[in-house]
Amino acid sequence: MIDAIIHALPHVFAPANLLAITIGSVAGLVVGALPGLTVTTGIAILIPLTFGLDPLFALGMMAGMYNAGSYGGAIPAILMRVPGTPASVATILDGYEMTKRGEAAYALQVAVVSGVIGSVLSAIALILFAPPLVKVSLLFGPAEYFWLAMLGLATISALLGDDLVKGIAASAIGLLIGTVGQDLTSGTERFTFGSLELMDGFSIVVLLTGLFALPPVFQMAEEAIKEGMSASLLRFKKQRSVMREWRYFLPVWLRSSAIGIFIGVMPGAAGSMSSFLAYNEAKRVAHSPETFGQGNPEGVAASEAGNGADNAAALIPALSLGIPGSGVAAVILGGLLVHGLRPGPQLFRDHPDIVYGFMLQMLLSAFLLFAVGGLAATRIFGQVLRLPRIVLAPLIVLFVAIGVYAVNNAMFDLYVLMGVGVVAYVLEKLDYPQAPVVLGLILGPMAESQLRLSLTISQGDPSALVASWVSIILALLTAIVLVTPLYRSWREKRQRKPAAA
Amino acid sequence: MKRIFRTGLMGMAAAIALSGSAFAADYPTKPIEMIVAFAPGGGTDVAARSIASFMEKHLGDGARIAVINKPGAGGEIGWTAVAQAKPDGYTIGFINVPAINALVVEGKAKFKMDDFQPIANLVYDPGVLVVGKNSPFKSVKDLVEAAKEKPGTIAVGTSGAVGSSEHITILNFERLAGIKLTHAPFGGTAPVRQAVLGGHIPAATMNLSEALQLAREGEIRVLGVMSEERSEYLKDAPTFREQGYDVVAGSSRGIAAPKGIPAEIVAKLEAAVDKALKDPEYLEAAKKAEIPLHYLASADYKAFLDKSTADLEATWKVSPWR
Repeated sequence: MIDAIIHALPHVFAPANLLAITIGSVAGLVVGALPGLTVTTGIAILIPLTFGLDPLFALGMMAGMYNAGSYGGAIPAILMRVPGTPASVATILDGYEMTKRGEAAYALQVAVVSGVIGSVLSAIALILFAPPLVKVSLLFGPAEYFWLAMLGLATISALLGDDLVKGIAASAIGLLIGTVGQDLTSGTERFTFGSLELMDGFSIVVLLTGLFALPPVFQMAEEAIKEGMSASLLRFKKQRSVMREWRYFLPVWLRSSAIGIFIGVMPGAAGSMSSFLAYNEAKRVAHSPETFGQGNPEGVAASEAGNGADNAAALIPALSLGIPGSGVAAVILGGLLVHGLRPGPQLFRDHPDIVYGFMLQMLLSAFLLFAVGGLAATRIFGQVLRLPRIVLAPLIVLFVAIGVYAVNNAMFDLYVLMGVGVVAYVLEKLDYPQAPVVLGLILGPMAESQLRLSLTISQGDPSALVASWVSIILALLTAIVLVTPLYRSWREKRQRKPAAA
Repeated sequence: MKRIFRTGLMGMAAAIALSGSAFAADYPTKPIEMIVAFAPGGGTDVAARSIASFMEKHLGDGARIAVINKPGAGGEIGWTAVAQAKPDGYTIGFINVPAINALVVEGKAKFKMDDFQPIANLVYDPGVLVVGKNSPFKSVKDLVEAAKEKPGTIAVGTSGAVGSSEHITILNFERLAGIKLTHAPFGGTAPVRQAVLGGHIPAATMNLSEALQLAREGEIRVLGVMSEERSEYLKDAPTFREQGYDVVAGSSRGIAAPKGIPAEIVAKLEAAVDKALKDPEYLEAAKKAEIPLHYLASADYKAFLDKSTADLEATWKVSPWR
């Protein structure tokens, strides 16, 4: 392996291939920062263009686009409360609050550094630990995925916000929306009202964009102040430095990266889960969890590190087994095939220079993100905010609409976008938190379908759900997450009693 | 006023009718939309995007083909869009047998097979039945015998839902072998492959190209290939027929246009596909990627489509899948 890496190094650092990563990164930032347009779409458009090119040049562009695109989503999320990609939704929760406090530059800095650290750790995991991590991913069958989803649902409580009832209502809305579509096991259509477009359920990208991108725009239009955000809020210099505070962020980075890598390796877990689970976990273990959602930089760090760590890790099962760990990894697999590179164990034997070259490119593009994302892009994007809101609001709607239309090339998605946007705006006015909606939406269908698959395979025998030690551990973790708050409040009450008496 | 308007309209209609034939001669004069009924990055999408650039080359005159993804409802949304498009040769699309025929046979689709003008078939990927490397089943017969002993206890994973082409194939196999299996729909190729590799499911069906690498590495075992003859990409794997079960199934990808498109344009597109598939550069890439190319010209493709529909109709009568 070390031979192969050393062999691949000169190829990776060839000027043409460095250029490829840079081009990919710049394109990725744009694609990621435009709401609705996702990295998956960007790479899919890129693939046919690379047909006649050298494989490493093509893969370099993909690597750059992957890492930069996944960070790019954080820029509008922090500056405008509009998520550029589904994974950046968790970044909004604290990132935008920081911007409102005038800490936009600091928030972006936290995001870019955390994203780089997550991506770097993930790329290192890809290079060094691909074989053992693949073995871990194979331990996960339907029963294990079911428990993983249950664990995720149990941690929703961390996102519920101040009003427990409204938080639970929001989660239920997410779970309900998740039931729409054809039921795989019986073929029955649920709540589709005969509409073809609803057969596969609501598209996550469309829903997330409607939920999170439109309400702030409506808000802007409502305020209709004829001036931009004051320049003093957008000072991009002279703010705190993340690098000097690395000790403070280190635990968050490590924990979030581990979560991101784990979710990335699992082919059955949706990519946008990583940032949410990382955020949840950071909030759960924090000393003062109530500061999350109020502009706590740790929230931004957790979300972005988790998001970045998902990237290269999703390529682990993709490269070694041909099983993509995320939607983007699936598209990259398609790109490999176009170049005659068939993923699987023999890929490492037949083309070690390309495989390790690509892995190094993932690592290199993560570092490059510092320069491209940290220095240039955030400042340029930041200036957009100085536009008067009356101009900015329709501009955002325009980009959102183009991006969402590009997902499926369907008018239907635009109607859904507007409908969801209006509902989300009303929910926001009524102080319902939106984040639980998302987790309910992603995890509900996963829990249901995996439970049914598991029971189908076992002929209805429920003991299959706890047949492996992975299932048992996940089930126990779920129980602990659910019981801990109950235990805490019970203890608090007991301590309070003697004081009252 | 009204009359002027009407004459104007008639004049316009005449102009359009006249331009029709001239228009076929210098086709294409504007970009051609190629509709793919699946998401970007999937097998059909990659096939479409790679053939599109070679078709552009062989259509000549700076022809442009834009690949448009209209995914959803197992392909039905995209196929409906092709069937209902204006038959002027500027909208063509990829159709996938037998998934598209299955929708028509169920009587659920908004189109009939006659609504399509077949242009050419490109790929035929036979189905395979696979098990994990530690599975006790060494042949189709082992699995059939185990299923006869305890009917319904062996789960077979598929990448589709109930009513998908892989599910229909399992029903056919059950009927021919006189057994009862349990269908476990995973809804995607990645999770079902992961489940087979991890030993979470006793057996699964998929397309040969999806099993090829893992089978060569000995990570999974191909019990039977559902083609008439052994595949040249995996010569060791026996066919179902060799083992006494007449299961022939697979999925094909081809190009079709809405019916009523001028014959000259059909011929032009057909020739472009034919030339593109013979292009050495394309052939080399396809061979490297081990794409199971299978060219059928328009008339043969039509016959193939008709036969697939007839077969499915027969299955539907005996064992409706929904």
